[in-house]
Amino acid sequence: MNQNEIIKKIENEFNIDKKDIKKIDSKQFKAFIKNSQIIDFLTYLKNIGFWQLSLITAVDWVDDNKFEIVYNLVSWELEQNILVKTDISRKNPKITSVINIWPAAKYYEWDVNEYFGIDFIGNPNNGKELFLENWDGPPPMRKDFDPLKYSKNKFPEKDYKNFKMKKQSEVIE
Amino acid sequence: MNTKELIEKIKNIVRGHSLYMLHYCTGCGAIELPPTMTSRFDMERLGIAPMATPRQADILLITGYLSKKTLRRVIYTYEQMQSPKWVVGFGSCTINGGIYYDSYSTINRLDLYLPVDLYIAGCMPRPEAIINGFKKLISMIEKGDAKGWEHYIENKKWYKKNQKKALGNSLYTTR
Amino acid sequence: MIIKFLIRGLLFLIGAFIFQVSLSGFSRKVVGRIQKRYGPVFWQNFRDIFKFLFKKTSISHGFIFDFGVLMAFGGTMATLIFVPFGNFAVIPGQTNFIVIIYLLAIGLLGMAMSAVGSGNPNASIGISRALTQMLGYELPFLIIALIIMFTNQSSSLEVLVNSQIAGTWNLIKMPLGAVVAFISVMGMLGKKPFDSPIAPAEIASGPLVEYSGKYLGILMIQHEFATVIEVGLFVNLFLGGGKTILDFMIKYIIVYILMVIISSFLPRFKVEESVKFFWKWGLSISIIQAVITLGFYFS
Repeated sequence: MNQNEIIKKIENEFNIDKKDIKKIDSKQFKAFIKNSQIIDFLTYLKNIGFWQLSLITAVDWVDDNKFEIVYNLVSWELEQNILVKTDISRKNPKITSVINIWPAAKYYEWDVNEYFGIDFIGNPNNGKELFLENWDGPPPMRKDFDPLKYSKNKFPEKDYKNFKMKKQSEVIE
Repeated sequence: MNTKELIEKIKNIVRGHSLYMLHYCTGCGAIELPPTMTSRFDMERLGIAPMATPRQADILLITGYLSKKTLRRVIYTYEQMQSPKWVVGFGSCTINGGIYYDSYSTINRLDLYLPVDLYIAGCMPRPEAIINGFKKLISMIEKGDAKGWEHYIENKKWYKKNQKKALGNSLYTTR
Repeated sequence: MIIKFLIRGLLFLIGAFIFQVSLSGFSRKVVGRIQKRYGPVFWQNFRDIFKFLFKKTSISHGFIFDFGVLMAFGGTMATLIFVPFGNFAVIPGQTNFIVIIYLLAIGLLGMAMSAVGSGNPNASIGISRALTQMLGYELPFLIIALIIMFTNQSSSLEVLVNSQIAGTWNLIKMPLGAVVAFISVMGMLGKKPFDSPIAPAEIASGPLVEYSGKYLGILMIQHEFATVIEVGLFVNLFLGGGKTILDFMIKYIIVYILMVIISSFLPRFKVEESVKFFWKWGLSISIIQAVITLGFYFS
């Protein structure tokens, strides 16, 4: 089946608006799904041939006050890439985990949980640390986190205004 | 001079001309080390050779930026080396933060956590600059001026206070 | 009488130390010239050994660790006393080949004991590889040496050397055996392609991983003494020893530099492959050589 037939089949199955499915180029297209239908949609896509989960990530829209979660699925027989997007609220971010459909989603969701603070219901690793050790600040990939202020506070830097060359024995201030 | 100073002077001359550096490349500056060690800019003429374990090495090279996780492991490595030992800082990230001055996980000044004897500036320093820096280190060792390891032993409380502030109040790995 | 032998032994050890350490420093220059660069100065290995002996601190891991180092060093020094060097032997008449092969194993066993006492898993892997490789190279070497001792009806090295000076060298009488013995000595010294026990980039120096400071200085001196014993055995058995000390030294230098040149461009065998190599090619060629020599002897 070529790309147009796949898009038409998905639209008819789930009653999606025409403006929510778009082509990116001849081998990729993207779809925007509401939060309540997301698990059924992903299961349906896995059954028709998109059996590999390539990436789960999140985008932070600070001005619109929402998080957008992106799933990237690949099908080798149909030779197509699909990006599936949903929206969740920024104040209390929660979404159901897809770990029962693809067990490899364990590490992608753990990564998004540590860097954005999104809670995946059903994933056993929520709250544990993966990359950052002894972290004591807000989740660092959010857009309202200021890394320059954090770095100046925690790692003191060289003072060039009152600078004079000191000997090794005088380094202790 | 009496015999004790004479013996110490002979020992310093022998130590200066046979330095083993630890082959542990911490950052992106380590890419300039293989050209320095091989045939074109030969470093073995000065007596410097790479060695695989920290128990047998004399110099620790911090090449480039140092993130928080690596700093914890570098402190373990430094405390396993046998004295007398020297630390050399490569590149501008060890001096004042370099191009990663606004990152939430790299340190800005190496001087507060480990005693540094010599800095080599550049981003990255070329092999000619590295050999020039090592010749200066050799002349410092022969005169007896490079005493970083004694400074670490005498002011251990100050160094540990700085390390704990950067690493989050626990100096051992968490898992 | 005993005092005279002690003084002769001490002078011999100091002379062998100076000779071998400057020769291995010179071999680093040879390797440098092969790789199209200048090497270090030829007294560089003296600086390395004395720098390790001048370190201020060293870490010990208990009684077995210290004892293993002393056993390795003492055993190697005791073996070196029995090797004749030209026409100089420390105790004239006491240069038996079987005593040398028996005492040579003490060095390796001492290092094995102290590697076990240190508790690092890298050291255990290195020692198990060294002992596995010893299974490989000992067998062809001992077959050739037994054939030489049988056709001369004596196991004293001085008698073998004198019979070669009077007749022809063993290199010309049994050339296949000489080639097998050359490759076995390269395995004994730990040169590439047989340096899997030490393997710097793979298991972080193998059995030497926990030594620091003065222990490492003592082990480096022990390695140089072991080199003198093994290459000296080869020169005595196959190249006719030497009428004078200078004659012996020239033959020794030629054999050692040839080994260094061959090992400077070869990669490294795995341990199983090196044992298979020694048992497939080494054993078969040495058995062919034994059959030919015994055929000539009995006819």
